[in-house]
Amino acid sequence: MPKPLEGVRVMDLTQVFAGPACTRILADLGADVIRMESPNRLDITRNLIHTDNDGQDVPWERALYFTIRNAGKREIVVDLAQERGREILRDIVAQSDVVAESFTPRVMRAFELDYGHLKQVKPDIIMISLSGYGQDGPYSDWSAYGMGLEPSSGVSQLTGYKDGPPMRSGLSFTDPYSGFLGAGAVLAALHYKRRTGKGQYIDLSEQEAAVPMTGAALMDYAMNQRLPTRIGDRSPWAAPQGCYRCAGDDNWIVISIESDEDWAAFCDATGHSDWAADDRFSSLEGRQQHHDRLDELISGWIKTQDHYQAFHHLQKAGVIAAPVLSGKGALLDPHFKERGQYDIVDQPHNGKRLVGRHLAAKFDEFEASAAGPAPTLGQHNQEVLGGLLGISDEELKELEEQRVITTEPALPVPGPIVSAALKLPYDAFLENGTLQAIDDDYLQQLGLE
Amino acid sequence: MAEGSLSDLRIVDLTQGIAGPYCTKLFSSLGAEVIKVEPPDGDVSRKFGPFPDDEPDPEKSGLFLHLNTGKKSVTLDLKADAGRSLLEKLLAEADVLVEGDGQTSMAELGLAHDDLKGDLPNLVYVSVTAFGCTGPYKDYRGNSLTAMAMSTIMYNTGDPDREPLTTGGTPADYIAGIHAWIGALAALAYRAEHGNGQHVDVSLAEAAACADEYNAGMYAFQGAIRRRYYSRHVFGYPMDIMSCKDGYVVVVPGAAGFPQRGLTQDGAVSSMALLMEDPELDQHPLFQSGQERMIRWKEVNELIQPFLDTKEAKDIVEFAQALRMPFAPVPTVKDLVEDEHLQARGYFQEIDHPEAGELTYAGPPFRMTETPPSISRAPTLGEHNGEFDA
Repeated sequence: MPKPLEGVRVMDLTQVFAGPACTRILADLGADVIRMESPNRLDITRNLIHTDNDGQDVPWERALYFTIRNAGKREIVVDLAQERGREILRDIVAQSDVVAESFTPRVMRAFELDYGHLKQVKPDIIMISLSGYGQDGPYSDWSAYGMGLEPSSGVSQLTGYKDGPPMRSGLSFTDPYSGFLGAGAVLAALHYKRRTGKGQYIDLSEQEAAVPMTGAALMDYAMNQRLPTRIGDRSPWAAPQGCYRCAGDDNWIVISIESDEDWAAFCDATGHSDWAADDRFSSLEGRQQHHDRLDELISGWIKTQDHYQAFHHLQKAGVIAAPVLSGKGALLDPHFKERGQYDIVDQPHNGKRLVGRHLAAKFDEFEASAAGPAPTLGQHNQEVLGGLLGISDEELKELEEQRVITTEPALPVPGPIVSAALKLPYDAFLENGTLQAIDDDYLQQLGLE
Repeated sequence: MAEGSLSDLRIVDLTQGIAGPYCTKLFSSLGAEVIKVEPPDGDVSRKFGPFPDDEPDPEKSGLFLHLNTGKKSVTLDLKADAGRSLLEKLLAEADVLVEGDGQTSMAELGLAHDDLKGDLPNLVYVSVTAFGCTGPYKDYRGNSLTAMAMSTIMYNTGDPDREPLTTGGTPADYIAGIHAWIGALAALAYRAEHGNGQHVDVSLAEAAACADEYNAGMYAFQGAIRRRYYSRHVFGYPMDIMSCKDGYVVVVPGAAGFPQRGLTQDGAVSSMALLMEDPELDQHPLFQSGQERMIRWKEVNELIQPFLDTKEAKDIVEFAQALRMPFAPVPTVKDLVEDEHLQARGYFQEIDHPEAGELTYAGPPFRMTETPPSISRAPTLGEHNGEFDA
């Protein structure tokens, strides 16, 4: 089935998470996404968490994080520090519709590859820069990692246990969040280009992109000069609402009672007419006021129950609830499975693996699924530089000799030392609880063996 | 004012709450005409606060005002014939329908995609629901909390001995809104090529799961089940919010932070040692081994915390950034509004509203040079009824 972005070419200079999530969606929608990496500085996600944590001989090809984010893209490895490398990039841009990049703003300017320059090469180019703090303003040259940007957007001040300090989420979710927005921004710019023939430049600051999530708190401050307190899993708009321990090892369920009707249904489903009859609990205000007591009652009722059974039981009674899923739980969840949240991708050096969707939308006419495996380092050097740019085999060989292009990473130390350094201390993680377990038979459990 | 990138589009919006309205807010910010069809008593978010002085008023809900900027409001009773026929007229002129208010069944109203596609083959029909329109949980109810629970993010957020913690700001609502917007734009791109509209089915649970960085990945590639441990990443320490003299900072030393074998030049002092004004720290075993820092993180805290306790957040972040370490602030909403960087970029906007008065709003989430996104006030209930009367 044809995908909507077939015929659209994206020159992808992004790295790590936000930018690659943006271009992954464009690839899933059918665009030809050509990644570029530097021979001297690989995408750092090639050095994060590897298949089976085994530190094998080509760890950069066994990086799960890189693989998931870059499925279905092509890749060239070109040294932009050399003029010939920059020339190659400009030649590809001349044949592209979109350029995406995620360096700190000074980098592209230093290479003279910023929008002003690339527009001269391709006047109708659409270019998107995804950065931590945007292209101008006092913090624009700050370096930024995802783990700093959720807090810097204000979201972490709203996250935390009651009376506890602000907390980050257990991963850097504003990275994909801004990548998603970036994909939409590119689609909007392509829409405008279809109408007018004009390209443009998109400046996406991850900090700014995430600030709207604090909207209600911003408004409360604007209206009442009041700062919110952290409320754990509770809500100003639902009570009781919380996360409750179920039977088994670290199994949990969330429950949310949004109305008096929900409360009646919940009391009915739990067989507690005494709760329904209790005047303290008859209104949202009352349930908020006595929330601690309600948490005790609900915890007592649910602690011996299976979290999935309780979830189905409550939902069938019309009550909002859901199991709290681990990574394994999500992969095995029957609903996600039936709707195809995880695609099977056959990955060189890794075999068949389940890779998560980046765009949740399900379409009648096509699937926004991973378009193929992630590329190996410089896998498409020849195909892109020879095929698209018409560079001869002879020159390609010269370019390799000059290390303008390569398929071998420049390692600072011998390979085995790199591999050993990249292994994570899983024994210690199992001991302190960062990891719950490691299943040796996981491929069987996932139905891949 | 410059033209918006989507100013040729008309969107009919039947959503309520947060997720669907955020989708259509993105459309209105980019210039599309968004006709928000509200039930006679209004979008449910008009009943949610915050309100000025905590006095409920459907025209002064902060949540509603924030999420419905730049839209037109039409009140319709979809169960009555008159309302129904006016909706059909609106749809005949629309490019996109976005539906999903958490309570109305479009099928029961005879307004499901299958009911409409015969007469309106070009319509892009977007559904935003808790679990999606197919699959075993399709009839189940949910909200941002249930989606965060399903996403794997919540399981990995919080303290090891306490309950999993959801993230503030109902992120699953916003992520689903963004995915619905992307889905609609992808379907419009498809229509431009092939002519026909289609159904786009977006669930909050899957949208939030798409933001999972590596929890499912660790199981799919390693069999490892990650669990919450003070919301900590598995691949390095410190990378965390820590307290300081006047509040909090994110301590992220990054690639240049600690000495690295083979990378750090002889005689060079690491950025963390420079920050803490003690070059000798580079000889400390915890400075020399990333693995040791992850395992002995409490000792790392004991090493760093006394320094942080003597410094103010702004000074720590600025000094660290000057040393090329990606430290970050942990602002409250007040800090954000007063932030010199966001002010220099003109991010926040003062917008007047006939009932709620002038308030500070979050600006558009990205900039575009040719078609700058913009924010304008939310409508009062039924403000545009006259414009679309039968």
